[in-house]
Amino acid sequence: MNSLWVLLPTGQRASGEWIDDTLRERVVEKGLLARTPRVGEFPRQRVELIRDADPVSEVNRLFRARGWTDGLPIVPPTLGRVDEMLSASPLERHVVLGEMEPLGGVASVEKVAANAVMAGCDPPHFPVVLAAVQAILDPAFNLRGVQTTDENVAPLLVVNGPVARRIGVNAGWGALGPGWPANAAIGRAVRLVMNNLGGGWPGAVSFAGLGQPARYSLCLAEREDDTPWPPLHVELGYRPDQSTVTVLRAETVINVTGGLDELASVIGSAASLFGILHSGKVGVIFSPFTARRLAGEGWTRADVRRELFARGRLPAETWRRSWIAGAVRASDWPAWARAAAENDGSIPAVRDPDDITLIVAGADLPIPQHAYCSSWGHPPCRVTREIVLPADRSRGRDTGRDTGPADRP
Amino acid sequence: MLRASAVAERAGVPTASLVCEGFRGQAATTAAGLGLPGLPTALVPGHVDVQSAEELRRNVVAVTVDAVIRNLTEAPPPAGGAVVEPAAADIVFEGSLDQVNRFFYENDWSDGLPIVPPTGERVAEFLRFADRPGETELGVLLPDQRRATVWNVAVNGVMAGCRPEYMPILVALVEAMADPRYGVEHSGNTPGAETLIILNGSLIKELGFNYEQGALRDGIQANTTIGRFWRLYLRNVAGFLHHRTDKSTFGNTWRVVLAENEDALRRIGWTTIAEDEGVTADNAVTISRYTGGGVIASVFGNTPERMLPYLADSLLRKVSWELMFTVGMGVGSQRPLLLLSPILAETLARSGLDKAALKQRLFELVRIPATQFERYVGEWTNLVPGRPSLTALVKAGQIPAVFAESEDPERLVPIVCRAEDLMVAVSGDPLRTNAYAFAHNGILGFPTTKAIRLPADWARLLREARAR
Repeated sequence: MNSLWVLLPTGQRASGEWIDDTLRERVVEKGLLARTPRVGEFPRQRVELIRDADPVSEVNRLFRARGWTDGLPIVPPTLGRVDEMLSASPLERHVVLGEMEPLGGVASVEKVAANAVMAGCDPPHFPVVLAAVQAILDPAFNLRGVQTTDENVAPLLVVNGPVARRIGVNAGWGALGPGWPANAAIGRAVRLVMNNLGGGWPGAVSFAGLGQPARYSLCLAEREDDTPWPPLHVELGYRPDQSTVTVLRAETVINVTGGLDELASVIGSAASLFGILHSGKVGVIFSPFTARRLAGEGWTRADVRRELFARGRLPAETWRRSWIAGAVRASDWPAWARAAAENDGSIPAVRDPDDITLIVAGADLPIPQHAYCSSWGHPPCRVTREIVLPADRSRGRDTGRDTGPADRP
Repeated sequence: MLRASAVAERAGVPTASLVCEGFRGQAATTAAGLGLPGLPTALVPGHVDVQSAEELRRNVVAVTVDAVIRNLTEAPPPAGGAVVEPAAADIVFEGSLDQVNRFFYENDWSDGLPIVPPTGERVAEFLRFADRPGETELGVLLPDQRRATVWNVAVNGVMAGCRPEYMPILVALVEAMADPRYGVEHSGNTPGAETLIILNGSLIKELGFNYEQGALRDGIQANTTIGRFWRLYLRNVAGFLHHRTDKSTFGNTWRVVLAENEDALRRIGWTTIAEDEGVTADNAVTISRYTGGGVIASVFGNTPERMLPYLADSLLRKVSWELMFTVGMGVGSQRPLLLLSPILAETLARSGLDKAALKQRLFELVRIPATQFERYVGEWTNLVPGRPSLTALVKAGQIPAVFAESEDPERLVPIVCRAEDLMVAVSGDPLRTNAYAFAHNGILGFPTTKAIRLPADWARLLREARAR
């Protein structure tokens, strides 16, 4: 008989109740017990000792039956692995980041670490996970809405700065695809946190009609080294040596092969209808090849945004005939959109060019590939958090010594 | 909308939240997330978006209006969700001693020292020494609002390393903890004061408490494990945990039980602490919370005139911001404790001082300039709202006249409202001329005394326990 000491990854409210009890009611009501037959059946404590001939498999079997996974196998969040994860944390384990909507599980650093272990994160990934969790806890992200809506929205995580390169968040070949541990695990950790601390269980609490693969993970870095423009986080006011996570609410990810024309055409399509309704902020993952070509012709990032804003327009007629225009009162559409439909006969995808977030990433292909991430819901959302690393004491001392005569006037 | 309803319900205003048929699950989920799972909702059949005005009107009149009226007039106010915890006799773990200790520690049920596993057998043995059945409720403790029962007293007593025969003391301690006068809910406040348990009665000798040399030092099972029990009970039943409900800036370890030297008290005719607090039962515990304290070494002299200025000065030096409890929060709740070694008490008594006379002398001596008093509570801190002068407080009738006997700002004022607010206990090395002064936490841990009730067959049970 072998044993594992595992930290329970599920959410407890500040008042002491476990979110699983609410989930059990929803699961039973929705007839979903077959998916998680043992929802709510676990010892009400921080740590559980799993004894089994094959405890890793047993943890997986139990956690899946209790509803604590995304369907894929997890790494057991043993006390040792969680401690190791926390060794990379800038915050103490007991620090509370917030209460995770909609069920209000307390997101302590320790609970987030347990979910990061389960997702397959390595400790160096953890500061990014923490920053991303802090970002989705920002009221501007509307986590309650994201978790419960019948739309398929997922958080899009964009990592900038030296940390992205150091820990290998892919910004190049296949950055949105499989094969890159940091991209896969960081995004998955955020999803497990949403599932296990917020209770965003599909079909029971989350009513996304289809979902999307991005709900497993949607995380990439911006390609900063060999692109002509200052990176996103510098545009947003951070220094190049800082590292950040920027989170958007992505309704979907649409591949666009071609140039600005093709991009503008997709942006000016029905895909933008929800974004227009809520004056949302969209994401454009922009081909490095095109970025270099345009920069060579003197274009800046702002120029590209203005161009896409000017040309990515939805014909007013398409809007009027759309199902959503019929379902939503005319007066509920934002004034800027109504005015554009009235005066110009077409509506831009966003209220302002700055509401287009440009992210340079992907392979350096001469047949350029971009992606358009339309936005969902209210309020307009682009939340950036700095990635804070644990204090490095030795480095602090070295810096002190390095302040030699040369630094003095 | 449910968020608005939750706010209204919490303010005592009944609500009805209209919810379309397909959103009932989300409403229930959201209500639970808001901490009010019973938030009343009124059903709107179907979905309003696809209904004509006529259909909607029909549905609302047929179904919704009635529900709204019932929500507002009949539905009980929603309560928070129930916290599910193991039942009293549930076996929560089976494993080796090492595993049990790790399990308890990792689940926040232990203080970091090894515990004795609270097996059913050990708990049953403790319960034999209680005068009431295990399920008896002793109170409900904040912040977790958990029921204090004789059963969970036994469980924590076992864990702390107590002997079963300490059980009557443990039960009395929890009765004191649950007494609203004591104020257990403040146990996590930022100054982080720690409770001192004072034991009086024949149990001191029967159960082998130390009341002589090293009276406040760990190392004697009865004094030490009951002190540990106190802290474990605050953790496991009241619910004070690091980084959560406990906000002590520093705190300190639990104090061992102070047993008074009743032989010495009887020789000099002084009352015990329990008697001073009005409890004359044979055995009693007194709990009180102290912010700090320190030893007063080498008291020299053989008359009150020689000895008292030093004792008074030392007592004064232990008290500063705590003066807020004298004139501000809980006026008159500041109860400093002076602990005398027996030889000091005997020397004072030989000069004809009984406890009341001693307290009166100290009351007159332990004084500071009014300006300094006001500095502590109104200039260096902001602990008394509005920072009124002592004179103003006297004029307003909030504190006794002794604080404004003249207009002189340098006049001397006492640190307590009445002589009897001072407490004096006797214990420690009988022949060493040292004392100890404790500063008190006022209304946030007010002295509370409880008689200890022994089971009917105490003598037999104790004999059996000793024979083991």
